[in-house]
Amino acid sequence: MSAAPALLEMRSITKSFPGVTALAGVDLVVRAGEIHAICGENGAGKSTLMKVLSGVHQHGTYGGEIFYGGHEVRFRGIRASEDAGIVIIHQELALVPGMSITENIFLGNEPRKRGAIDWKVAQRRALELMEQVGLKEDPDTLIMDIGVGKQQLVEIAKAFAKDVKLLILDEPTAALNEADSRHLLDLLREFKRQGITSIIISHKLNEIEAIADSITILRDGRTIETLDVRADGVNEARIVRGMVGRELSSRFPDHTPDIGEVLFEVRDWTVRHPISSERLVCKGSNFTVRRGEVVGFAGLMGSGRSELAMSLFGRSYGVWLGGRIYKNGVEIQVKSVSDAIKHGLAYVSEDRKAIGLNLLDDIKTSVVAAKPAKIARRGVIDQVAEYRTAEGYRRDLRIKTPSVDEGVAKLSGGNQQKVVLAKWMFTDPDLLILDEPTRGIDVGAKFEIYGIIQRLAAQGRGVVVISSELPELIGLCDRIYTMFEGTITGEVARADVDPERLMTQMTTTRKMPVS
Amino acid sequence: MRNLFMKAVAVGAVTMLALGATACSNERDGQGGGAASAKGFAADSLIGVAMPSKTSENWVLAGDLFVNGLKEAGFKADVQYAGASTTVADQQAQISAMVTKGAKVIVIGATDAAQLATQVKQAKESGATVIAYDRLITNTADVDYYIAYDNFEVGQLQGKALLEGMKAKKPKGPWTIELFSGSPDDNNSAVFFNGAMDVLKPLIDKGDVVVGSGQNTVKQTAIQGWKAENAQQRMDSLLTSTYNGGKTLDGVLSPNDTLARAILTSIKGAGKPLPIVTGQDSEVESVKSIVAGQQYSTINKDTRKLVAETINMVKALQEGSAPQVNDTKSYNNGVKVVPAYLLPPVIVTKANVAEAYANDPKLAALTK
Amino acid sequence: MSGFQEVKKNLFGGSASVSRQFGMIFTLVAIILLFQVLTDGLTLTSGNLIAVVSQYSYILILAIGMLMVIVAGHIDLSVGSIAAFTGIVVAKSMQNLDLPWPLAILLGLAVGAVIGAWHGFWVAYVGVPAFIVTLAGMLVFRGGNQFIGNADTVPVPEGFREIGAGYLPEVGPSTGYNNLTLLLGVIACVAVVWRESRARSTRREMGTQNAPLWISGVRLALMVGVIAFATLRFAGGRVGTSLPVSGIILIVLVLAYSFYTRNTVGGRSIYAVGGNARAAELSGVKLKRVNFLVMTNMGILSALAGMIFVARSAASGPQDGLSWELDAIAAVFIGGAAVSGGLGTIGGSIVGGLVMALLNNGLQLMGVGVDLVQIIKGLVLLLAVALDVYNKSQGRFSVIGSLTRPFRRQGSSPAAERPDSPSDSDRLPVRPLTHRKTSV
Repeated sequence: MSAAPALLEMRSITKSFPGVTALAGVDLVVRAGEIHAICGENGAGKSTLMKVLSGVHQHGTYGGEIFYGGHEVRFRGIRASEDAGIVIIHQELALVPGMSITENIFLGNEPRKRGAIDWKVAQRRALELMEQVGLKEDPDTLIMDIGVGKQQLVEIAKAFAKDVKLLILDEPTAALNEADSRHLLDLLREFKRQGITSIIISHKLNEIEAIADSITILRDGRTIETLDVRADGVNEARIVRGMVGRELSSRFPDHTPDIGEVLFEVRDWTVRHPISSERLVCKGSNFTVRRGEVVGFAGLMGSGRSELAMSLFGRSYGVWLGGRIYKNGVEIQVKSVSDAIKHGLAYVSEDRKAIGLNLLDDIKTSVVAAKPAKIARRGVIDQVAEYRTAEGYRRDLRIKTPSVDEGVAKLSGGNQQKVVLAKWMFTDPDLLILDEPTRGIDVGAKFEIYGIIQRLAAQGRGVVVISSELPELIGLCDRIYTMFEGTITGEVARADVDPERLMTQMTTTRKMPVS
Repeated sequence: MRNLFMKAVAVGAVTMLALGATACSNERDGQGGGAASAKGFAADSLIGVAMPSKTSENWVLAGDLFVNGLKEAGFKADVQYAGASTTVADQQAQISAMVTKGAKVIVIGATDAAQLATQVKQAKESGATVIAYDRLITNTADVDYYIAYDNFEVGQLQGKALLEGMKAKKPKGPWTIELFSGSPDDNNSAVFFNGAMDVLKPLIDKGDVVVGSGQNTVKQTAIQGWKAENAQQRMDSLLTSTYNGGKTLDGVLSPNDTLARAILTSIKGAGKPLPIVTGQDSEVESVKSIVAGQQYSTINKDTRKLVAETINMVKALQEGSAPQVNDTKSYNNGVKVVPAYLLPPVIVTKANVAEAYANDPKLAALTK
Repeated sequence: MSGFQEVKKNLFGGSASVSRQFGMIFTLVAIILLFQVLTDGLTLTSGNLIAVVSQYSYILILAIGMLMVIVAGHIDLSVGSIAAFTGIVVAKSMQNLDLPWPLAILLGLAVGAVIGAWHGFWVAYVGVPAFIVTLAGMLVFRGGNQFIGNADTVPVPEGFREIGAGYLPEVGPSTGYNNLTLLLGVIACVAVVWRESRARSTRREMGTQNAPLWISGVRLALMVGVIAFATLRFAGGRVGTSLPVSGIILIVLVLAYSFYTRNTVGGRSIYAVGGNARAAELSGVKLKRVNFLVMTNMGILSALAGMIFVARSAASGPQDGLSWELDAIAAVFIGGAAVSGGLGTIGGSIVGGLVMALLNNGLQLMGVGVDLVQIIKGLVLLLAVALDVYNKSQGRFSVIGSLTRPFRRQGSSPAAERPDSPSDSDRLPVRPLTHRKTSV
């Protein structure tokens, strides 16, 4: 163990909510100057622990003690923890879109001169801070005009403006592309050199392996173990074992693909951006999906994968400029979402909560939402059929819920995703397009979802998987297309997959010969 | 199981039915129709008074007088005002509530004289006597009496006062005037206007009196809801449209004091000389204005007298005798001629202001 | 304590929205009983109940349409103006064109549909926020009312007055009651019993646990009792009175729209649009059509409400419909709908409207002035909504919802008993998602 003194020590922290214990005794020791990762499946208690630390759950509402810089601390709110130099950057960024970078950095913390905000000082400090986090932008740029990666940097600059000693990042790279993620991780290493201590919460185990000095693994509200990365020879499999309590022999279920004739073919699909008339988000895309085949789409964020998928799905994104869709060799007209559903297309969106589900609905309503007519007679819904349908999927997909009458808002991410899958399976589609199907889902549930995907393919359906995680695509797909800036730049069969070559195709427009 | 279920239902239903039935004293019998007035009723009965919204001092004063007067006479009083924005619906609900409470006489100062037929019918059927106070209720056969100042005479007095005032200021015609009338949903508006026109029309026809804007019908001159702001708006536009080029305005026929003051405000705002402006209701501010020589006249329809006469009617009804009426021909509400008791109004100008209000403690102080 | 809650859950259902409605019904009963005492029993007399129904039926009809508008995520400020406009058109058509009154009613509904479609066009197809569209409509049609009516009051003929001031005829043997009202009551009782037994068989079919029989029995006894009581009251008024015609129209509409919103594909799509418009669109719901129809429907119901009021007032006047939108909106929100859309029920809105109606009526019977009544109503609205928001900010759907939660865990479905959850962590307690939708 490293010799540095502990900056933060949390001892036997417990926290319960009416009916459920979220933390059942967590111990956490973070040493000064290290990068400390916290891992655990969704619901293991990571977020609750951070809320306890930052004072969102005030002192007195939890059990246990917190020592920080050698003293016991009892935070009574976020303000108090921030004053002590503890800053959390949440997954959902807390920035005001209509304000400039400078204004956001100093929001609530404005440098003042005689009561008025001293913009000159603010501007100068902002430039310094932006330099520090490697953000090259005009400080007067509005937040809504910069990308998510840069927004994240603004958020970090904001933390630095508050004189941070312990920086906590909750899923910092979840929404970032590879390049931005790499930049962020480099930045964390740089902070470490400057002596700032960081806690990082992430599902991306490869990142954790690469950057963390020590790892604390939580499961079911308890600390399972704390690993020293260098000393213990930690690798991804080791972390996974700690998180799920068992070794996942393979992260992907075994299957033997049974691939039939061409089911869907898309030719010359061209779509422009909904607002900017010059920007083409899809440029003459051609691709095919065969029966029983899982086809992957690799590409960085903004490469046009989701845009292509959504525009195929009843032109629900952008402005369609041209292109045809063939199903079993016959051209089909898909001009609206209902056309798409009628022709056996299904699209499971990237962002479940924002556009995939109505969070006010219960599970059974959600499951039948895409094709209610199937269980209705003359427009009147058959409640028994609805209940039975939902029950069937609950058992089949192992959706963890006491009842299908529960609201979907109460489910964990993995179970919500299963509900969305059920909703589209219920439409009995020929082609399922799954956009980032495992984003924000813990390891165990991921494995189950991979299994569902392969089962769907085995039933003779075509499945398209869009993902930012190359290992996922490589493990899951029979064939992978790569996209870059709206163009399909390559196609690779499972047998010939070479991650480096995929990455090259994802970052260049040069067409590779089809392998 | 199934049996048990049906049994539970049956037992429950029977219990509740029995409960319901016993709790229900059937209201089908007992109260007879409108014949009640002939026999009179108990001396401590409930008397309902439904007033319009509190837009004018007079209604507030009348309400207070009713509360005290009815109490003194030994009755129970329920005096209600309609809300500011939901007048008609409020008044409908209030009258229904009075019927429910068993009011023997319901005195109504209607907000919209034509929209109370259903409630008045309900009142009548429950055996109550309906007295239309100040405003005649139309479109129904179920109004028993009407009590008011003689509104046609009010109009005539306003017309005469307008002419006298203008003559005193500028002995020779032709005089230029503007006309204002009240809210179109108030049955009295037209009566006032017609009374005034009874005096003014011959002179207008002769050309001695000129309506500057040419707007000389009830419709054109109406002020919706008797609202000061509407009157002020109309006067503002008249000044802009007609009196911009140095034409002088000699007189304005205003049906009441609230509107008169709004008209004067508008003219003052435009920086024009003040014309002769009539009024009605003897509102405090207007009496002050008359004393100060701004508003020319008002009408003293002593609310005390009117309320007192109304209470006399109620007393007569209580004893079972026929209340006094003095007009059984003029007031046709569209369905029937309503017997009316009319009180004579008094015109008040600066000349007689002191003697007119000698008996009124509040107003008398203003005239000294 | 827990025994009591279990009984309550079984009687009124367990889900959060049902619990919320239970809360409102409880409030309603409390208000009725309170005023029954304060007014020496006047509140529950036949005459008063009949008066209340005919006084508020048009507001409640508006609340039905408003609920759907609000669930879809919009608002309609123009209902009062549409009502007034339709009223004057209908009155004038009968006065000047001698249109027979049944035709005039059809004309009125058509006028409402056209106005509603006009609003729907702007909201759904142009994308102007409903607040603005209907604010404009409020001005346009208020002006239209005064333009056509010359700000005058126009009387309507006797036949037309039936829909607002009419009663069921007296037929059959002399029973001391209005026979047709009694008949309706009997039908209602039979329907309630039939529905309960069907619900039980449905639950059996689904393989769900049924509540014990005696629970069903008690629930039915309560409902039948309430219906019997109401029937006798409405049938036992003065000779010539009964359940008002406007009340019958209201009941028919409530039943039809409740069924539509709960049990049909079309009704569901309204909730889907309000809950998450983009998700609904991506599930194949035709967003624009739903919005258009919801606004059109509001127009038709406004027209109907306007005609009922005109019929009741025996004349159409310039002040008709003033502030109705506020009463309707208040009813919907007191009844548990969410400002942001997606939540709310017809039943809840009706109960919300009745709470306001009986509060108003009770205070009037006590002789409380309109000024105070308004203050009290305003505070009740604020409190009802604030209580719900507070409960949600505590991570609960409502006080009652939170009390019944433990039972829902164990009860209601066989799924709960299956010990198949390897990590219970997936069922974390409180996900503070309710913040996103601050419902009222």
